[in-house]
Amino acid sequence: MPATDYQGTSSPLTNIGRSLLPVRRDQVHAMESPIGGSASNEAEIESFQRQVADRFHDLASVPSDELLSLPWVRKLLDVFLCCQEEFRVILFNNIALVKKPPMDRLIADFYERTVKALDVCNAIRDGIEQIRQWQKLLEIVLCALGDSNVGYQRSLGEGQFRRARKALIDLAIGMLDEKDSGQALAHRNRSFGRHNTSGSHSKDHHHRSLGHFRSLSWSVSRSWSAARQLQAIGNNLAAPRGNEVLATNGLAVPVYTMGSVLLFVMWALVAAIPCQDRGLQVHFNVPRQFPWSAPILCLHERILEESKRRDRKNACGLLREIYQMEKCSRLLGELADSVQFPLSEDKEREVKQRVKELEQVLDALKEDLEPLEKQVREVFHRIVRSRTEGLDSFARGHNPE
Amino acid sequence: METLENSNTDNSGYESAEKIILRWDSTASEEGRERMIFGTDRQEADVYLQAVDEIQRSLSSASISDCSHNVDADDQSKVNTTIQIAMARLEDEFRNILIIHTSALEIDSLFDSSTLFSSSTPTHHDLEDDEDCISDDSGNSRNNLLQLHHCESSDSSTYRTSSSIRKVDLMPAEAICDLQAIAMRMIAAGYLRECVQVYGSVRKSSVDSSFRKLGIEKLSIGDVQRLEWEALEGKIRRWIRAARVCVRILFASEKKLCEQIFDCVGTDIDDASFMETVKVPASQLFNFAEAISISRRSPEKLFKILDLHDALMELLPDIEAVFDSKSSDSIRVQAAETLSRLAEAARGILSEFENAVLREPSRVPVPGGTIHPLTRYVMNYISLISDYKPTLIELIMSKPSTGSRYSGDPSTPDMEFTELEGKTPLALHLIWIIVVLQFNLDGKSKHYRDVSLAHLFMMNNVHYIVHKVKGSPELREMIGDDCLRKLTRKFRQAATSYQRATWVSVLYCLRDEGLHVSGSFSSGVSKTALRERFKTFNAMFEEVHRTQSMWLIPNGQLREELRISISEKLLPAYRSFLGRFRSHIESGKHPENYIKYSAEDLETAVLDFFEGYPAS
Repeated sequence: MPATDYQGTSSPLTNIGRSLLPVRRDQVHAMESPIGGSASNEAEIESFQRQVADRFHDLASVPSDELLSLPWVRKLLDVFLCCQEEFRVILFNNIALVKKPPMDRLIADFYERTVKALDVCNAIRDGIEQIRQWQKLLEIVLCALGDSNVGYQRSLGEGQFRRARKALIDLAIGMLDEKDSGQALAHRNRSFGRHNTSGSHSKDHHHRSLGHFRSLSWSVSRSWSAARQLQAIGNNLAAPRGNEVLATNGLAVPVYTMGSVLLFVMWALVAAIPCQDRGLQVHFNVPRQFPWSAPILCLHERILEESKRRDRKNACGLLREIYQMEKCSRLLGELADSVQFPLSEDKEREVKQRVKELEQVLDALKEDLEPLEKQVREVFHRIVRSRTEGLDSFARGHNPE
Repeated sequence: METLENSNTDNSGYESAEKIILRWDSTASEEGRERMIFGTDRQEADVYLQAVDEIQRSLSSASISDCSHNVDADDQSKVNTTIQIAMARLEDEFRNILIIHTSALEIDSLFDSSTLFSSSTPTHHDLEDDEDCISDDSGNSRNNLLQLHHCESSDSSTYRTSSSIRKVDLMPAEAICDLQAIAMRMIAAGYLRECVQVYGSVRKSSVDSSFRKLGIEKLSIGDVQRLEWEALEGKIRRWIRAARVCVRILFASEKKLCEQIFDCVGTDIDDASFMETVKVPASQLFNFAEAISISRRSPEKLFKILDLHDALMELLPDIEAVFDSKSSDSIRVQAAETLSRLAEAARGILSEFENAVLREPSRVPVPGGTIHPLTRYVMNYISLISDYKPTLIELIMSKPSTGSRYSGDPSTPDMEFTELEGKTPLALHLIWIIVVLQFNLDGKSKHYRDVSLAHLFMMNNVHYIVHKVKGSPELREMIGDDCLRKLTRKFRQAATSYQRATWVSVLYCLRDEGLHVSGSFSSGVSKTALRERFKTFNAMFEEVHRTQSMWLIPNGQLREELRISISEKLLPAYRSFLGRFRSHIESGKHPENYIKYSAEDLETAVLDFFEGYPAS
């Protein structure tokens, strides 16, 4: 098998398909293993590698405005579930090999990795809940400024703008980083003419309830960190050496592949969705020899680039819809702050335009947010199930069913 | 207090309402900020609400005002602004009322509540026997089955509760009235979302502090995996108590509060506000049970996991009653999934246990041939299993997967399943465990250099098995008398084998043949041979006495029986030997070198056997 050469990540991905494992693979091919012929084993491993590559190629070939959008993230999770299923089948078909060293250790490590991903899934669900809270605030804005009111047509007056502004400020606070929320609260109170002096219950509690909003939302302890969790998932994840590949009859490769897929998917989720201590600096060392290396590395780089952009550096999540929510609410906020009554025709048109954009974002959220949550839960379940099955089949030891 | 403008025209009615609203605009006036409308003066509140109603009315009526300016749009806008100001104010009032009347439930009193538990005495179980558990093989791996020494008492009594839900009034009636009144206005003005949101955020905070009081922790799955099982047991116990309070009292009462406040405006809304309040906390609650169900399988976890399973199963009807709307699907589903995972975990652990018993690798023989810690552990474990019979009999649905009749695998025993027709899967598992235990013990017995000791060891251990089975009616009923008979036979055989191994050669010294010399003159006795015999017998007996006093048969009855059995063979043989041949020795030199013992001496010496005396 010729070793095809992958250019840098920026080049179009044309060389997908052929397995690129090091030449020594041929030795495995030539060897006749006493257990199940290596021929069938190699075919299914190659097919698996190819499938993974194809799917990630699809994910990678989207334009930048689709990357990390809700539909794209959903697709990413679908890809994960498919890969996971096929991987399960490979293990099932090679059960005797899986129980022998060093494969048994490799697979045990893999299962440990997947358990760490479970906490990420839970954190992501928390994050989705956060987004839902923002969605609700934006719905208030839409309600205030949109013209979907029952009955009569009315022009937008000061009342509606005040209502919208209130919700927008709450939203802005909600979307801030935790460390900044204290300042933002003061700002909020000021703009409604309140002072943070001793006063009625209401103010103090209001302050508290907003400041505590974050800690109430996370169902993990203050010390949990998404960044650390990702690092733990990627810990010791290294491409198998030649002798390992030989000793496991090639199975070490799909194990590594699945581990890398797991790491990437979890990392992308953390990049997209708000969660506690979102750090994206996890080490991602994938050698370019695998057919899926290029698309995954490409995606990794694109997402990293996105995270460094000036207007997204402090975002609480890179999800495209979050960006749209931020933009929409910022523009609307500026409008609401600058508007003079009565509204000029120009202004009115501008408002209607922004409201229309807002409606589009909300539609996207309505369409995909809940299904995404269900998918994350499904990922959770599959991981648990496959791990349970795997560990159980070990427990049976050498006894056949 | 300012007096209202008295007027009898619509317009001034509207205007005075507007004035009231503006007066209380906290962004505009100092006075508006300083105090709350609700909670100070009943009349103020009523007046304010009336004002809001008035403004609302004018918003929905076609004609707004008699204003000479006739700029409808302007007026409309002004009304809208006034409404918004009113709504913003009402939102604050709403929040304030909620906060003032939010007091965390008196948690301690709830734990003692008798409505939570029906009366049944919890049974106490210990994985440790009365006899001390000696652990050998201290050098063995951490996963060695023998490390477990105790298991806390289980609260596994069945609580049969029917209407165990107790809804507490979370707020005084007056507050609820006010909240209702405000909610109605907000919803009528189209400010439903704000209302639900404020409600949710205050109530969620209250639920959160109740959670903290109940000791519910925010543990991740990773945290649960890293904790020692003993620590987790404590947390599970606490969780069970807390979950009961949460579902039956806390959540149920929150639901009631939502109904009280929002029912008049529609069930969808009280559902929405309820979910806003409890969705995240409920999920957080069940996350812990889920994490436990995912943890690594290991035998000592079985009983606490069964406790957790039972508690959750018992809670399920209440969970379904409290979370009965479509929007709370996910919570019901999570609880149900966790329950089935716990069941799976229990099954997996049982298999894991069986394997562990089979493969338990310690090779160092137990000194004195006494009961192996593995035997103790396993028998205590399965006694405990039989205590959990009601639950396990439902959970265990398939036969043991290891061990088939004709596997031909020398590393596993065979088991005849056919003659065990009509036994429940659970019973089959227990029988299998005993089979596997014996198999393992057989292997261990081979490490004794002294074959007699090996037999004694088997006798001790199989007898212990029988003893434990007989001691538990549940266990006995499941294992069955057939099995019991087989086991009894086995330990009796071991006793016989022991006797043969030790005593045949000793008694051989006391045989008749070889002592008589037949000559043409006298049928006499070979004095040399006789002396040899006595010397050999003495030496052998002394050796047996020396070693076998260090051996141990812990069971008093068995010890007695074996000694009697030995005596019954030894003493008559010796007496008869003495009787026949002592004169020959006594007629020679130094008879005391040869006849060292009387029969009574031997009888006394036998009493030392199997006492487990330390090496002298």
